[in-house]
Amino acid sequence: MQDLKLLHEAILSGDAITAKAVTEKALAEKADPLKLVREYMMPAMSEVGRRFECNEYFVPELLLAARAMKTALELIRPLLIASGAKPTARVALGTVKGDLHDIGKNLVAAMLEGGGYEVIDLGVNVTPEQFVAAVKEKGANIVAMSALLTTTMPAMKTTMDALQQAGIRQQVKVLVGGAPITQKYADEIGADGFSESAAGAVAAAKKAVGA
Amino acid sequence: MSMFDTQGQAISQSGRKPNTLRKLKRLNTALTHQEPDRVPVSDFFWGSFTKRWQQELNLPPDANPYYHYDLDWIVTVPNMDPWIRPFVTLKETAEKVVVKTGFGAIMHKHFEFPMPEMRDWETDSLEKLERAKFDDPTDRRRFTTGGDNQIAGVGDGFHRNTPPWIETVRSLHPDFPVYGSIIEVSECLTRLIGQQNAMLWMGEEPERMGAVINRIGEFYFQMARAEMEAGKGLLDGFVIWGDVAYKKCTFMSPKYWREYFKPWVAKITELAHANGLPVIYHGCGNVKAIFQDYIDMKVDAYNPLEAKAGMDVIELRQQYGQGIGFCGNSNIQVWETGDREAIRREVLRKLNAAKGGGYIFQSDHSVSSAVSGRTYDYILKLVREYGEYPIRLGDFDERL
Repeated sequence: MQDLKLLHEAILSGDAITAKAVTEKALAEKADPLKLVREYMMPAMSEVGRRFECNEYFVPELLLAARAMKTALELIRPLLIASGAKPTARVALGTVKGDLHDIGKNLVAAMLEGGGYEVIDLGVNVTPEQFVAAVKEKGANIVAMSALLTTTMPAMKTTMDALQQAGIRQQVKVLVGGAPITQKYADEIGADGFSESAAGAVAAAKKAVGA
Repeated sequence: MSMFDTQGQAISQSGRKPNTLRKLKRLNTALTHQEPDRVPVSDFFWGSFTKRWQQELNLPPDANPYYHYDLDWIVTVPNMDPWIRPFVTLKETAEKVVVKTGFGAIMHKHFEFPMPEMRDWETDSLEKLERAKFDDPTDRRRFTTGGDNQIAGVGDGFHRNTPPWIETVRSLHPDFPVYGSIIEVSECLTRLIGQQNAMLWMGEEPERMGAVINRIGEFYFQMARAEMEAGKGLLDGFVIWGDVAYKKCTFMSPKYWREYFKPWVAKITELAHANGLPVIYHGCGNVKAIFQDYIDMKVDAYNPLEAKAGMDVIELRQQYGQGIGFCGNSNIQVWETGDREAIRREVLRKLNAAKGGGYIFQSDHSVSSAVSGRTYDYILKLVREYGEYPIRLGDFDERL
């Protein structure tokens, strides 16, 4: 049996090739997929997040780690689905209507996936209706919105109103983030959580769903 | 209408107006950390703000904030596309246009949205980036011929056939201190390969990307030199457009930035100074980790000092003294509230940074369409009233 710490190290160092190889070998050796995720992959991404928060890792390192984790997860996901294992929560993530920036959102997606969340990435310029649809049709229980411009921030409130009008506001938690977003703004619009950074998004999601 | 499309109101044959020379003296006095007659003021305006401002203040459709308020400086942009070529229109509807630009970027411009979206890039691998051969950085067409260029053409507005840069400079020269400008490597990479690829490849192949950064750095250094030569006698300063940080900190490690990006900012700054041109560096985000580096490079002023990224001119002045000038930092999110009391507090507090010179009053990035025309009008009145030296700010006075 190979040392599965190699998977942890591969993700931490952003080595997607090793992450894939170790995962393939581990699965061939009948390792428990859920154990791989919970004991090696998620802790690796948690450490990536910690290093990112401390300015030991920067955006390049985070992107590489996320790619390594995603590469491993692609091998494991079908097995998790087949076993009925559920993600911590399902997140509908997008940059709001009128806003076309995506790098921040992509970093959040990477961290949430690394934190055991299933991410439905709706992309950019996401209308309130699309967020509502993601909740109704794909079972998202978190709606996570990003905005980079002060002029597009109001779309967050519009989306919250759309969730309310659709009768589903109470069944989801809403998280917000982005350059102009503050805790004060999140509180003003009634969001359930806010994060200053991509790494903090996992903690915000965890707190919101009580995980 | 867009941020960089201001054309001068007359081509002067007889040199600059006395008022323009006063503005130039004001600006240069401030940038040399002496107190001028009053605090210089200007900004970068979204085209959609200008339209709103015209309507709200019942101004004609050709009214322009730079002329209306007699602002103290203006920046111009030449054609900085690596490949000098017209946009290729891939799709066009009443709602949006999709073009491929001289950066090889596929830009989607929705006319109702303030910013365009870059979705794809011709240069989509590190190998292609390493092999990419650009047009001559010193090609005179960049400065003397009209045509499409991404930075002037696809931003908050959409414009084709931007007038020749040198004609724009000449048209503005009688009425304003005019700055030329250049992008640094980070801004090029965002347009050439996409920001995510830039970051990923820096992480994956730091030394190979370092070699590319150096090649692009040399490219834009040569272009800056050619621009300064083309604008000789007409330029009053130089802006370096950078983008290496966001709300939290720098995108890449300060170590990597210092090794590969900083030397080119230093070289362009030195070149500008050798040509008698002060340098304003534009870089968004939280640059606290590398702020001293800009002082060490003798950049004359830092812009825009985003308040939402935690930058604060009063704190910076207290920390760095008159080591560098500041241009910006007035919180656009306060401006957008329209709350006169809050705006007054914000404006007057930031004017403390002007004590001893070294400050140009501007927003902390650009004036968006969420700011009302009347608010901007009010802000300018405040700056003109309280920006006369000696600075007296009453209850908002702060010790630096």
